[in-house]
Amino acid sequence: GRGGRGAGGAQTTIEPHRHPGVFVARGKEDVLVTKNMVPGESVYGEKRISVGEGDEKIEYRVWNPFRSKLGATIIGGVEDIYIGPGDKVLYLGAASGTTVSHVSDVVGPEGLVYAVEFSHRSGRDLINVAKKRTNVIPIIEDARHPIKYRMLVGMVDTVFADVAQPDQARIVGINAHHFLKTEGHVVISIKASCIDSTATPAAVFAAEVEKMKAEKIKPLEQLTLEPYERDHAVVIGMYRAPSKKSK
Amino acid sequence: RTMALFVLHETSLGYALISVEEAEEIAANDAVIQKAIRDLARFGKLCKIAGFVPFRSAQDALENMNNISEGILSDLLKEFLQQHLPKVKSVKKANFKLGVQDHKIGQAIQDNLNIPCTHTGVIPELARGIRLHFPKMMKNLKADSQEKAQLGLGHSYSRGKVKFNVNRADNMII
Repeated sequence: GRGGRGAGGAQTTIEPHRHPGVFVARGKEDVLVTKNMVPGESVYGEKRISVGEGDEKIEYRVWNPFRSKLGATIIGGVEDIYIGPGDKVLYLGAASGTTVSHVSDVVGPEGLVYAVEFSHRSGRDLINVAKKRTNVIPIIEDARHPIKYRMLVGMVDTVFADVAQPDQARIVGINAHHFLKTEGHVVISIKASCIDSTATPAAVFAAEVEKMKAEKIKPLEQLTLEPYERDHAVVIGMYRAPSKKSK
Repeated sequence: RTMALFVLHETSLGYALISVEEAEEIAANDAVIQKAIRDLARFGKLCKIAGFVPFRSAQDALENMNNISEGILSDLLKEFLQQHLPKVKSVKKANFKLGVQDHKIGQAIQDNLNIPCTHTGVIPELARGIRLHFPKMMKNLKADSQEKAQLGLGHSYSRGKVKFNVNRADNMII
């Protein structure tokens, strides 16, 4: 059960996932894991798995795709998440920091996560997660006004957004204009009912992609998060992609 | 007459003033700046650090960030701009402009110091370039010192936000 020693048995082996910084634990069943930046600590009650002996021991944390849209995106077989070791990520809609903690594991000590969350209730949890993870910079502020937190953020490689707001394409756009490198990437989670509860999810996703294009984001890949989330899609794009003419 | 251009860059370490060479050429041709942004050597010729004032303490940094996020001109920023920019008698007579990232701080600077501010045109692109290259433009700056300062300031700013929420319960949008 949860928190037990179950999956940490001797039979479990760890293999690197196709995405750098992400791993798969192969035991009774295969689970997605990240290498724990803070060994000995769970963030939200997730199971930990130790492999190796003595000083060689390495601890991993199980990444539950039912609790993390980025986890679901990876298991869904996305081509590239554009979040890897050493990367700098601007994370909009950080909530209590559960997925943020996995992103922190993935980018590792050379990377950085600027985690923006407006809700003060979630923000308190986020601050506590960041206390133990020195590569997470908590920003309790409205992602609609990136100008307010411009002193805290450098240029980033990737913007990840899970803000669940009707104007999220614009929110991502203004943050990208300030902080995202040219030819950097965006990963946006779209909950259809948050944008428009009357249109079909497919129509909402298509409309959001058009809005992203207007923000200089060229769509590269789109996938739905079934069976982990209903009527959710993730769209991945490149910011200010070079045009064919200018090459 | 040619109009000189400066850009204010607010960081976790302190305030920086960047002087922009060939400002008129840049403003007229977007491709010039786009090419320059990709290359530190080229960007460094275009944009030079004209002044920098470090925050004296974590408390000092927090107070300044609280002001900047609300578009308020702090005493430190006021003194810094007076010290490093040419003297001005009136907005109209100034032979330079100051680029800012937020129209509110621009208005506050213009109202208080008669320094003509702008936040449109070429400024947003210049600001992107400065944000990208600033840590390397600053001599004697350790690679990660800006990020360490961001971490400390991020915690203190965010703690303050959570602590001083008047509505206490929440401000989540449902």
